[in-house]
Amino acid sequence: MTVSIEGTTVGPGVADGSGPATGAGPSGRSGRARNLRAGLMFLAPFLVLFAAFYLIPIGYSIVESLRTITRTSTFGPVQEVWGGFVQYEAVFSNAQFWASLRRVLVFFLISVPLQLGMALVFALLLDSPVLKGKRFFRLAFFVPYAVPGVVAAIMWGFLYAPQLSPFTLIAQNLDLLGPGLVIFAIANIVNWVYTGYNMLIIYSALQAIPTELTEAARIDGAGQWRIAWSIKIPMVAPALVLTGVFSIIGTLQLFNEPLVMRSVSSAVQTDYTPNMMVHAAANIPNYNLAAAYSVVLALVTCVLSFTFLKFTQRSTEKRAAG
Amino acid sequence: MRTHRPARFLVAAAALATIAVTAACGGGSSSSAPAAGGSCEPAPAGTKVELTFTSWVPGMQKTVDLWNQTHPDIQVKYTEVVGGNQGTYQSYANQIKAGQTGDLGMIEFANLPSFRLQNGLANIGSCKPVADGIGQYPEWTQSQISFGEQGAAYGVPQDVGPLALYYRKDLFDAAGLKAPTTWDEYAQAAATIQGKGAFIGNFMSDQPAWFTALAWQNGARWFSQSNGVWKVDMTDPKTTQVAEFWQKLVSAKQVNTVPGIGNVEWKALDTGQEWTLIGAPWTAKLLETNAPSTSGKWAVAPLPQWTAGGTSGGSWGGSATVVWTTSKHPYEASQFAMWAFGDPAALALNNQNGGQFPAHDGQTNLPALSQPYPYFGGQVIWKDFATANNQVDPSFTWGPTMTDTFDTMSNGFGQVVNGQGDLVGVLRTAQQKSIDTMKAQAIQVG
Repeated sequence: MTVSIEGTTVGPGVADGSGPATGAGPSGRSGRARNLRAGLMFLAPFLVLFAAFYLIPIGYSIVESLRTITRTSTFGPVQEVWGGFVQYEAVFSNAQFWASLRRVLVFFLISVPLQLGMALVFALLLDSPVLKGKRFFRLAFFVPYAVPGVVAAIMWGFLYAPQLSPFTLIAQNLDLLGPGLVIFAIANIVNWVYTGYNMLIIYSALQAIPTELTEAARIDGAGQWRIAWSIKIPMVAPALVLTGVFSIIGTLQLFNEPLVMRSVSSAVQTDYTPNMMVHAAANIPNYNLAAAYSVVLALVTCVLSFTFLKFTQRSTEKRAAG
Repeated sequence: MRTHRPARFLVAAAALATIAVTAACGGGSSSSAPAAGGSCEPAPAGTKVELTFTSWVPGMQKTVDLWNQTHPDIQVKYTEVVGGNQGTYQSYANQIKAGQTGDLGMIEFANLPSFRLQNGLANIGSCKPVADGIGQYPEWTQSQISFGEQGAAYGVPQDVGPLALYYRKDLFDAAGLKAPTTWDEYAQAAATIQGKGAFIGNFMSDQPAWFTALAWQNGARWFSQSNGVWKVDMTDPKTTQVAEFWQKLVSAKQVNTVPGIGNVEWKALDTGQEWTLIGAPWTAKLLETNAPSTSGKWAVAPLPQWTAGGTSGGSWGGSATVVWTTSKHPYEASQFAMWAFGDPAALALNNQNGGQFPAHDGQTNLPALSQPYPYFGGQVIWKDFATANNQVDPSFTWGPTMTDTFDTMSNGFGQVVNGQGDLVGVLRTAQQKSIDTMKAQAIQVG
């Protein structure tokens, strides 16, 4: 069962009915035009909002990243002029930007497999007939997601800081806010917030598994472990792919948690993640450079997401064929 | 498939069209009008003027209310915003780019050049209220708002942050120590206090403006400009002396190295883990609120000097109220600003509600600022700060891209307190990065 996320248009071959140049007759032509107009009117609200909040800002960012500023004297008027790729040169030659990208990729490896693994285990537990108190646990696992990210980071910051934490044994013996461990500390916060959310996605996919399959397996003598391993997990593979893509995108955009941790830890720099660098550049304010950082970050995110999708599609196809 | 092509083509065309439109719109954009220091005339008599004002001084609304009661023709609409570096400066920058700033805003001295660079600040030097009253502000604040231009004023000095030494009088007395008067004495006291299992103070790695004020005290002059060409020098002998001093203390673990303003620091001060705090007048209110269990045990002494008997100082923070170039009533705006930060009644309210130490020369005559402060054992700390304010070196100027300079400094300092690199190296990096950033802003650097 493969799900391709990019919409591939598959449909029966339709005779296009173009016919001779004069058209197939008044009813055919105007019928098609009426359909087109009706379709556009239904789409119009979406298209307007899509253009206003999606296309135009992206277009503006791309245009801004290709410009630079000049001035006649230090405090003279500012002119924005065409700059070509000068901002991109600055991005590609900036060692801190690539270090921050490497850092979020390391963060991804530390945080996401554990997060999705736990989400899967929790979802399977919720779905298994053995567990009591399902409704309570379903809510309990999801509650951290309801806590705003900034609040969660502040709260965990208090728990980590040796001078403030009630858990002195852990906080004072492990330097969780030092340069070695702070990335794990941040990963912990992110996992705490998002595991419940991913669990719900996987749990919904589990609900969609036809019960005949699990019944047939039980009749064949499979225990709960075997059912989980051989039936449930392969059937929720698409949901795992979905949560995986969301996690890639979310991790590459990491911003809130490291920024808040700066108030308790001196090991988190203002260029800790690429998004923080965008924020710092926009603060100078150098909007053109910030736009260039954003565009490069978006491209990296696209490349990684599509690579992940292609990789998982190919492996499921191989399994289906073999 | 034929039937789907028109839809896809439409979406693609829409996308291209919007990008083309934004490019066209962007093309004619921002050659922003220069801040003309032209005439500044009052509105015709009888017109009702409405001004908008944003700042983050706690309780400022009360000062604005007092003005609104006594000036029915000039009504000020006040909105409290978050601290400048917490996001308000970014809002201001966006507003300037969109041409939609209000009338009055609040900007710290260190960030004034950056906003001047964006042509956001109106020159109110020729407005009568400013021209008449600006001489009553200390010289160093006048040079901060004039950028050295004769007769110019790009803001009204609001409050100042001359550094002094807050110290735990009770702990010092018990240990037989006196408040250090020179940095050598400070280093010696640090060693003694380390022997007692505490820290003399905190090296604030996340507060680059704090370190800058200490270099300022020693006579450092990081940024200078002549004829539009800037020079950056952050590794001169005076700065290096300050950096090496603190490097020794950090390496010997004789100072704490936690973020300077935050719960970790307040806990350390409240529990006697740190015995002193090098701070500004506005730090007093923060200390009182966040370290309540040590009330009555603190005192304020002058900042240690590099030479015995010296009298130089630096300022940490301090801000000005500015009038934006888009303001339609610069005269009335400057009239309000001069009142809000010069009139004795307004200054008393600002101090009482916001903990502000006014820049205006008349501070010590204010009854509110002559009261003994119970938290500091009954000391009238404002007198010490007034003396410190008069010792601030007037020749220090800020660079045009301080957010970037400060970012580089705090990142580097953070690495130093975690064992990587040294403070002098950080300043060298900050100098180079500042020059690069200034060049990217089309500023000439010599």
